[in-house]
Amino acid sequence: MHRLLKLGLLSALAALAGCDSPETKNAGIEAQLPDLDPFPSTYQAPPSEPLLIRNATVLTGAGEQLDGTDVLTVDGKIQQVGQNLAAPANGRTIDASGKWLTPGLIDVHSHMGVYPAPATSNHADGNEMTSPVTADVWAEHSIWPQDPQFEKALAGGVTTAHILPGSANLIGGRGVTVKTVPSVTVQGLKFPGAPYSLKMACGENPKRVYGGKGSAPSTRMGNMAGYRSSWIDAAAYKRDWQEYLDKVEQNDPEAKAPKRDLKLETLMGVLDGQIRIHNHCYRADEMAQMIDMSKEFGYTIAAFHHAVEAYKVAPLLAQHDICAVMWADWWGFKQEAFDMVRENIALVDFANACAILHSDDETQIQRLNQELAKAMAAGNEMGLAISRAEALRWITLNPARSLGIDAVTGSIAAGKNADLVLWSTDPFSVYAKAEKVWIDGALRFDRSQPQLNPTSDFNLGILTPAEDRP
Amino acid sequence: MKYALQFLLALVCLGVNDSLAESLLLKGAKVVTASEAGIYEQADILIEAGRISGVGQALTPPTGARVIDVSGKVIAPGFFNADTQLGIAEIGAIESTVDSTTENPRITASLRVADAINTSSTLIPYNRILGLTHTLVQPVSGKGLFAGTAAVINLGRQGQIIETQDAAMVAYLGETGQALAGGSRAAAMALLREAIEDTRDYASNREQFTRGERRPYTLSRHDLEALVPVVAGELPLIVHVHRAADITRVLQLGRDYQLQLILAGVEEGWRVADQIAAQQVPVIIDPIVNLPLAYETLGARLDNAKLLHAAGVTLLFTGMSWQNTHNAFLVRQSAGNAVANGLPYEAAIAALSANPARVFGIDGYGELKAGARATLVVWSSDPLEVTSVVEKVLIDGDDIPLVSRATRLRDRYYRRLQAIQSSGS
Repeated sequence: MHRLLKLGLLSALAALAGCDSPETKNAGIEAQLPDLDPFPSTYQAPPSEPLLIRNATVLTGAGEQLDGTDVLTVDGKIQQVGQNLAAPANGRTIDASGKWLTPGLIDVHSHMGVYPAPATSNHADGNEMTSPVTADVWAEHSIWPQDPQFEKALAGGVTTAHILPGSANLIGGRGVTVKTVPSVTVQGLKFPGAPYSLKMACGENPKRVYGGKGSAPSTRMGNMAGYRSSWIDAAAYKRDWQEYLDKVEQNDPEAKAPKRDLKLETLMGVLDGQIRIHNHCYRADEMAQMIDMSKEFGYTIAAFHHAVEAYKVAPLLAQHDICAVMWADWWGFKQEAFDMVRENIALVDFANACAILHSDDETQIQRLNQELAKAMAAGNEMGLAISRAEALRWITLNPARSLGIDAVTGSIAAGKNADLVLWSTDPFSVYAKAEKVWIDGALRFDRSQPQLNPTSDFNLGILTPAEDRP
Repeated sequence: MKYALQFLLALVCLGVNDSLAESLLLKGAKVVTASEAGIYEQADILIEAGRISGVGQALTPPTGARVIDVSGKVIAPGFFNADTQLGIAEIGAIESTVDSTTENPRITASLRVADAINTSSTLIPYNRILGLTHTLVQPVSGKGLFAGTAAVINLGRQGQIIETQDAAMVAYLGETGQALAGGSRAAAMALLREAIEDTRDYASNREQFTRGERRPYTLSRHDLEALVPVVAGELPLIVHVHRAADITRVLQLGRDYQLQLILAGVEEGWRVADQIAAQQVPVIIDPIVNLPLAYETLGARLDNAKLLHAAGVTLLFTGMSWQNTHNAFLVRQSAGNAVANGLPYEAAIAALSANPARVFGIDGYGELKAGARATLVVWSSDPLEVTSVVEKVLIDGDDIPLVSRATRLRDRYYRRLQAIQSSGS
């Protein structure tokens, strides 16, 4: 076992056994524990020179607008945010007068790579529609890193994306957080240290997919029965491991590790608080049911996705610290999306709940800033007086929080990763463009140098032998 | 609060429809006319009996006219989305509310969407208060290459929203046509030629056909009847087609049979823009589409609109993306992105108003000038800007209350949230 892997095991041991310290040792038997990180990230930021971005209008992502402000990055981190900062000795300085600087945008709901372009059936790997509970599948095993959608998201200022399985299943599998960088392997995209998520789905999709095949679930009550019986199995599995660890702790020679079950291992990770629930759920009443169920089994929900009716239960979401992940205006494609209001995000924010704007879409991920602008404008039209600085949180710090990566990205603050976007003008304008995008201090997109920007293998020579896809 | 005031005004106005008769002077806005007059930085618009009687500086209102100061605002024609299913699709996943297509192989060209348009659809008020006043309602491919006839509707509340019930015939080629024809684009072209030639034969031999003295045709009598004006070159034929090579073949077909073509989709149009322009074929595109989502759209790019316009092609817009029906109003966001990627501003406005008016012959709509219908929108700012909001919508002079099912839901829950907050503090 290599080191990273061992660290995972120790933390699992600590969590499972309820020990005070991962240093816990025992004299005789060593616990045989599963590797919790078998596909570790191999992402490494390329070396970058110190960079001073001078005199920008900075939206920090944490609710502030700082006019005429400088940002200094060193070794891939934001070192300083302030005015009249000294230029680094052996670095670059960019004059950002008239331009706007934001953190790299975060899309908390994407299917890039698992539903890539071209959208053909041979590449459609986002829904394991063979069983309503597939907690054992991992989205990262479906991602095609050459999906040309990644570079378009990057060009729109998205530096971090959370890739989820689809919503056909009650429990659809693990999601993964990635950086929008070119890579031949999926491991090379994975956001180091980001926790795993688990996709669950309420409502119409699971009951349509399985009800249509004449199997369970075919109703919303069938949906609930499906989740609950899964959590009961997970609790039993966790008990088995607990008993095993207790025996190990007591040096019991009878200690025998339970047989690994990939489904239950993931569900146990949720019960242990290591895997975060990202739950596709449109209707207000279903969100309330899911919250009660989480209490029944003792886990927490990070976010409800799509959440078209979040405005109806915003205080409940605030009370339970659950984020609502929403579109600016999508509606009407099914019954559970019929009660959309364009003020949804603004109203959730008004109720002091965690509001997030997502794309779930290959077109919108390229311009999350415009979607944000619409959501803010709808709120302001009804009189909520939302500033740009406050609204920007919905696509930066709030999604970072829901993904458990807010300590390292999601805002412009000293010590955080230098994930930055320089905008040609006010990013709330339809005419604004991301001019430069840095990830961990490395310039990954530069509109003025198209020949240097990433292009997927798929694009080469596809229109004519000498041309790349535009 | 502003929203509460709007709500009260809306209650007062609901069901009361006397705004048609009055004279109205909108004073001092920037006016984007979409006409030869271009853009007035500041002008007045005088409206009488549902029509514009003047656009210009310092107009004098007739006695008794209502005068509204709209300085600082922007007025533009109500916008047009050239490919929606407004009125024929209420909830996408509920088949009983969707009439855009049929699985019945006997009905192809004779499907007339006007027969199915629900004037009470919730999508109509939703979209009109967001700046959309007209649309081409297109049928979607069913079992044949011909989907049926598209209708032009307005989004007014007069009850008579259908303006042209047979505005164009709609056909699908490309990957959709290939699948419908049994797996080859060449088979689709063969079927299309056969249908055209059968229609011609039928049109010149109706009596013999009725007497049973004509060879059998591939389409039903009603489908053939629907195609007669198409093969006569009187009714436009909208062909959904995507890749450059397919566009070239459709253009050839149009020349061979002297059809009045309009192309839709056209993601790779920029590669053959000169050919499209030379044949004076208008195109219906969503300028925001830039991904190779199919092998027939490998060349999709954000400056397609710019390149087509530069070649001299007449543009009509749809969008945004797949939400082109429920959020048909978002066609303005697609248009804004076209401008952000090089399309001249006034060309984008024309693609949302004057161009579709001309292509589909919508009398009096599309340009703000004396004599035109008073179908216009007052915007808080640039109508292509995503943060701009609608302040007033007139459709044929009718001052539309800014109320929809969605605003009712918003108001109900906002009141509840306010009550919770005030009781909690």
